[in-house]
Amino acid sequence: MSLSSRGTTVVNPSRGGIFRSVLVLLIVFAAIVAAFPLIWMLLSSLKTPTESMQTPPVWFPATPSLDAYRDVAAVIDASRSFWNSTVIATTTTIGILVTSLMAGYAFAKYRFKGRDLLFAAMIATMFLPPIVTLIPLYRMVSYLHFDGSLLGVIAPNLANAFGIFLMRQFIAGVPDDLIDAARVDGASELRIVFTVVAPAIVPAIAALALFAFVYQWNTYLWPLTVLQGNTSDFPIVLSLGRLLSYNRGAMNTNLVMAGATLAVLPPLVLFVFLQKFFVDSIVSAGVKG
Amino acid sequence: MTRAQKKPVWMMLTPAVGLIGVFVVVPMLLTIWLSFQHWSTQTGFETAKFIGLRNFEDLFSRISVGRDFRGAYFNTAVYTGISVVVILPLSVLLGLLVYQRRAPGGTFLRTVLFSTYMVPMIAVALVWSKLYSPTEGPINQILSWVGISPLTWLSAPDTALISIVILNIWQQIGYFTVLAVAGLTQIPQTLYEAARVDGANPLEEFFGVTLPLLRRTLLFSAVIAVINAVQVFEPVVLITQGGPAGSTNVLTYFIRRVGIERAQGGLGSAMAVMLMLSLIVVIVAIFAFARERKEDA
Repeated sequence: MSLSSRGTTVVNPSRGGIFRSVLVLLIVFAAIVAAFPLIWMLLSSLKTPTESMQTPPVWFPATPSLDAYRDVAAVIDASRSFWNSTVIATTTTIGILVTSLMAGYAFAKYRFKGRDLLFAAMIATMFLPPIVTLIPLYRMVSYLHFDGSLLGVIAPNLANAFGIFLMRQFIAGVPDDLIDAARVDGASELRIVFTVVAPAIVPAIAALALFAFVYQWNTYLWPLTVLQGNTSDFPIVLSLGRLLSYNRGAMNTNLVMAGATLAVLPPLVLFVFLQKFFVDSIVSAGVKG
Repeated sequence: MTRAQKKPVWMMLTPAVGLIGVFVVVPMLLTIWLSFQHWSTQTGFETAKFIGLRNFEDLFSRISVGRDFRGAYFNTAVYTGISVVVILPLSVLLGLLVYQRRAPGGTFLRTVLFSTYMVPMIAVALVWSKLYSPTEGPINQILSWVGISPLTWLSAPDTALISIVILNIWQQIGYFTVLAVAGLTQIPQTLYEAARVDGANPLEEFFGVTLPLLRRTLLFSAVIAVINAVQVFEPVVLITQGGPAGSTNVLTYFIRRVGIERAQGGLGSAMAVMLMLSLIVVIVAIFAFARERKEDA
């Protein structure tokens, strides 16, 4: 320990200034590296086919054009894919919200035999990679005659452990008095969950809704497996895969980038507007978990 | 109080627990059962025929599916190891940049980093496959500006896997950074003040206060990073198809290929069981490691 550092409470202004500049440089550098692939995607989608395949690469299109976006629609049924993605993400999100609120309420506010064991078992499923259940699950949905349809994509995703976990954490903080007052008024337990408890934890519900929506919008392995070749039910992420294999090797990079931009937009826009909820819920899940 | 005793526990639990039971727990148990069976995925479960440990013997034998499985297992292990080793320190470093208040831009950086986590992996794979393109891609172009000769990236066996690791880290680092920031906010400022009174310099503060108190966060991050890493799929199925020369053949890709595409459900399930067992061992090891470090401290 050097003696000089002891007691130097006043930071040397010029040294502090250099430190600050280094920090700013690091932040700018990290932000550029993080944003670069998405900016490149956007720029490439505005290029002509020739520009998008040139060596050395062209960074900025000479005359930005939206032609690639029009051409995407000629290869894949983009609006149909968007609709499918919206149906999948919306129904699973609603399912997850309802099932998670009910179970989270029971785990947080009821005392019953085996509660902690059951909760631990549910949480354990959170750590199971989907591939471990994929093969039998694929067979099971065909027993239910859900294979090759949106129903097969949706049904297994109407509840998940993360949702139960998040709802339990937040419902535990809702005062018992509030719930007891509603009971005295004669409200049913189901009514209490949705009209008393839910309004008290709106930020957590918003966070879960966004998480679920974005996750289900982006998920690839399960829809690919269950839908097989039924392209009319493909969500946008699967159609994007088709876009790449279409005319592989030809001058279609701008086309692929336009498709990617379209697929990225909904989750990204949701995030930009509601990032506070995302971040807060990760923080609470991480800290308490 | 008698009314309060009659709470509809099961009515509340059945939707969530029932769905998770049917669609997660039952298939997991079936996977274990199927790993001891000869079974084609194209047929019903009733056609499964018990064959003892034969599937597992195949995985360790010299036939090609055994070789490919061990290749996929090894690649996944390498992939997971590199991911964890890079993600943990990088997330702390970026977390400190986001958390610090001496320079502006921390929150902005968090937004940019986390936004990549919102992007579908399939789009990430597509974009990066173009960025990596040896001749038309901007990465080799930028490298040439600083005098580095072009790299092969996804097109050669010794660089393909690491290229996929990089694009995956790029996508996920924002999530781990937010976890690190959450951990940093939990550290009481009084500890830093005490360290400063003791004359600690910033480096000593970091290793004496910050890092030990981030242990729980890093433990959680390590477990999540491992679970995420074994799920790598989209870049492989879309861009490399396991190649070149099997260098990006990873478990999620290979298990699906054998168990679904080739319909060898028993064999694929045996592979899934090996993955599950390995994950349990790794996660227990991470916890044991963290506990040991705690006793040392």
